[in-house]
Amino acid sequence: MSLDLGKLGLDEAVKAGASYADVRIGEILNEILTVKNGIPEEVNFSQTKGFGIRVMANGSWGFAGSVDLTRKEVAEIAQKAVAIAKASAKVKKKAVSLREAAARKDKYSTKMKKDPFKVPLEEKMDILMETERTLAKQSSLIKVSYAFFRAMQEKKLFMSTEGAEIHQNINWGGGGVLAVAIRNGEVQRRSYPSSFRGNFATSGYEFFESLDLLGHARRVGEEAVQLLEAKKCPSTKTNLIITGDQLALQIHESCGHPTELDRALGMEADYAGTSFLSPDKLGKYRYGSEHVTIVADATVPGGLGTFGYDDEATPARKVPLVEDGRFVGYQSSRETAWLLGLKESSGGMRADSPLAIPLIRMTNINLLPGKWKAKEIIEDTQDGVLMETNRSWSIDDRRLNFQFGTEIGWEIKKGCKNAMIRNPTYTGITPEFWGSCDAVSKDDWKMWGTPNCGKGVPGQVMYVGHGCGTARFGNVRVGLIK
Amino acid sequence: MVTKRLLEIAEKGVELSIEGGVDQAQVAAFLVDSALTRFANSQIHQNVATKRGGVTMKVVVGKRIGALMVNSLDERQIQEAAGKAVKIAKVSPPNKDFKSLPKPARWKPIRGTFDRNTAQCDPDSRAEIVKEAIDTAHVKSRLVEAVAGSLSTGAYAFSVANSLGVSAWAQITETSLTTTVISKSKGSQGFGSSEQHSRRIRDIDPRRTGDQAAEKSVSSINPKKIPTGDYEVVLSPRAVASLLMFLGYIGFSAASYQDGQSFVKYNLNKQAFDPSLDVTDDPTDPKTLYAFPVDGEGVPKWRMHLIKTGKVSTRSICHNSFTAGKEKRKKSTGHALPPMYGFYSRPMPFNIVVAPGDASVDEMISETKHGIFVTRFHYTNPVEPAKVILTGLTRDGTFLIENGEITKPTMNLRYTDSMLSALKTIPLIGKSLEIVEEVTTPAMRLQKLRFTGITQF
Repeated sequence: MSLDLGKLGLDEAVKAGASYADVRIGEILNEILTVKNGIPEEVNFSQTKGFGIRVMANGSWGFAGSVDLTRKEVAEIAQKAVAIAKASAKVKKKAVSLREAAARKDKYSTKMKKDPFKVPLEEKMDILMETERTLAKQSSLIKVSYAFFRAMQEKKLFMSTEGAEIHQNINWGGGGVLAVAIRNGEVQRRSYPSSFRGNFATSGYEFFESLDLLGHARRVGEEAVQLLEAKKCPSTKTNLIITGDQLALQIHESCGHPTELDRALGMEADYAGTSFLSPDKLGKYRYGSEHVTIVADATVPGGLGTFGYDDEATPARKVPLVEDGRFVGYQSSRETAWLLGLKESSGGMRADSPLAIPLIRMTNINLLPGKWKAKEIIEDTQDGVLMETNRSWSIDDRRLNFQFGTEIGWEIKKGCKNAMIRNPTYTGITPEFWGSCDAVSKDDWKMWGTPNCGKGVPGQVMYVGHGCGTARFGNVRVGLIK
Repeated sequence: MVTKRLLEIAEKGVELSIEGGVDQAQVAAFLVDSALTRFANSQIHQNVATKRGGVTMKVVVGKRIGALMVNSLDERQIQEAAGKAVKIAKVSPPNKDFKSLPKPARWKPIRGTFDRNTAQCDPDSRAEIVKEAIDTAHVKSRLVEAVAGSLSTGAYAFSVANSLGVSAWAQITETSLTTTVISKSKGSQGFGSSEQHSRRIRDIDPRRTGDQAAEKSVSSINPKKIPTGDYEVVLSPRAVASLLMFLGYIGFSAASYQDGQSFVKYNLNKQAFDPSLDVTDDPTDPKTLYAFPVDGEGVPKWRMHLIKTGKVSTRSICHNSFTAGKEKRKKSTGHALPPMYGFYSRPMPFNIVVAPGDASVDEMISETKHGIFVTRFHYTNPVEPAKVILTGLTRDGTFLIENGEITKPTMNLRYTDSMLSALKTIPLIGKSLEIVEEVTTPAMRLQKLRFTGITQF
């Protein structure tokens, strides 16, 4: 990463009239491998290089980016960014400012043992081919079977007119399997370790190896077929037990997004929406039961949202969002922290490429472990439904009314897992739902990676993490599909 | 001309790949020059411009395929990429379903898809348009509290070449203005929105979007809770577009069809929808936004029926060359996505046009006894794709219709329903078409949509 180009961009921006500027130069490598029905459907590599310059001029923001990493282009793009900021200032109500922060010079790299990009392609493909074969042979009713691998490496340099200079090298990856069983128009899916291509972590190739996809292929195939025979989800209000792979998305949608301060301040009103967690509720509002403590933690080892610094050079940190059920904190940026009078940014500003502006994005939004063992939660439940692995999701634009479907469920009767349930769904209103949480596990707590969180206009896709185990909720409406 | 330069790059990439010892090679080069001015709380808060270009390449050795994307148009980097793609192909397992890259076919450019003023729209001009939308909304009512939205402009160009002789290109501009208005009275907020899409910046009318969004917003203050259940609905073109977009995505892609996960497979030649529903995918229709004459593999695109008199058939399915190669005597229908969308491998319709009817929205409302008017759906997602069961919520203006008149705003509602049921009876289809991204559609009145939940605002 060229410090000279970065310095040139900053100097040109200041010369053109910027009161603040930062430049990000980056390179992203992506490897996506997919085996489907015995064939290598995707053997794809992509490389994104480029830079972006964000400036403040006349009290407003401007940003420009390009893939052409030459001195001439860097100078032109810096001037363009300032011209854009000056145009922004023509429609301004209040000048932008940033919460003060120390300008650091530092380096950060994801800890990893094995570089996934150095593992021979043949080796990775062999694992996927064998896994997919094992999955497919479980039954002729499995009409579609997949094995997935993905690795990503992001090298980036951040420099600002305040003197910050941060080099980062972030690596993440993982994989998964999916079986689709079909009979007479009934389609059932089963995944491992989670839906939407598996589970992912900031790590080297060793995380993919630890998933042991082959070792789980048989069960996944069998369950996909069993689901064709399973009973329908009862339509009722009952106790709902959710395992970590589904709870991760529940946290993402109903706590992660509504605690983003840009949403709460109306900055995303035109697209993703606002938030029911308005600033007047901060510190006072009961979000959930006393069992619910949720943090944004960019420091947790292996989390998909783990890094050294965000894209404003704020160091990774752990920030409380919900403490013992009370709403106590937002995910913020330097600008929004200043707007709301917060002491500092939570360190959540991230861009999905050097060509995009940073936005407030989730890091790792974690439901802290409770006192229960997952097994004990089931044993303690007289009547209820257990749901596992996300299949569908939807939530309103203030993050109140949600509806989720999972791949599989089980009836719980007198503390035992009984009949398997197909097409399970549940719905609720966020604070009522979290308010009904009466048990959170500790023994199966782990990090789940969501590599496809969408936000912003133009749209950006970010990799974020969620730590959680199993939890129980009371009086939840389940079974919405007649 | 941009496309000429891109074609030279694509042809060079093919030449370099073939020199590397492959049997077939395809290279698509692209350039996207886009800008977006975003506003919230009645001021510009994000304002960006980016220029990105690159190539996607696919090389074939026997039945072994390597694919690579690099975001550079520099010859040295393309040469490196070609070398890497060849190496990938040589160590990849064979893809037995692969038949061939597409052969060249006659195609002709679509006229009028590029507008220089849109491509060159500067930040000061964008700021003026945005200011007009904001000011219009505030002038409309003193209850207007905040105006949000975005104005985007973009020029998209790509060229494709392959070793079998394909040589094709496309270039379009597009622009859109979205406007969302939040209003407030006595502690209750109202939300309204409006949007406009075109390929020419001169078509964008900020007064219209500002006025419409403000009107909806103020009318939405103090929404009422109503019981869930089945309701007649009048859907604005934007609401119809959400449903059609998902229908296109999960139903008409050959990837879903061949996997047995598309409703089309289970409803061939049946009266799946109302007989008045006629839907085409038509890039040649000047009303569609993404009017590319060829797809991302250089295969010509043409008008095809997705739904004809309410029925679907095997001819409704959208193919790229790979999915077509998996079936006997099937040819690509030109639905490989353009290269700027990366490796997204599902073929899908991108130019959905719903045939208009003869009703106005006012007529639809006046003929509704007890129903809901929907401005827009939010966060629509499939629950059971093969049965086209979708769920989502209303947003930015939901109103109760009683005895032919809009009587009150309602809290936003969640629908969960199969489109095979919801689109089974469509008593009225609107006469005016609106472009909503990849869908061009009129409003509709549906006999029944199932609402399964309600929000608190």
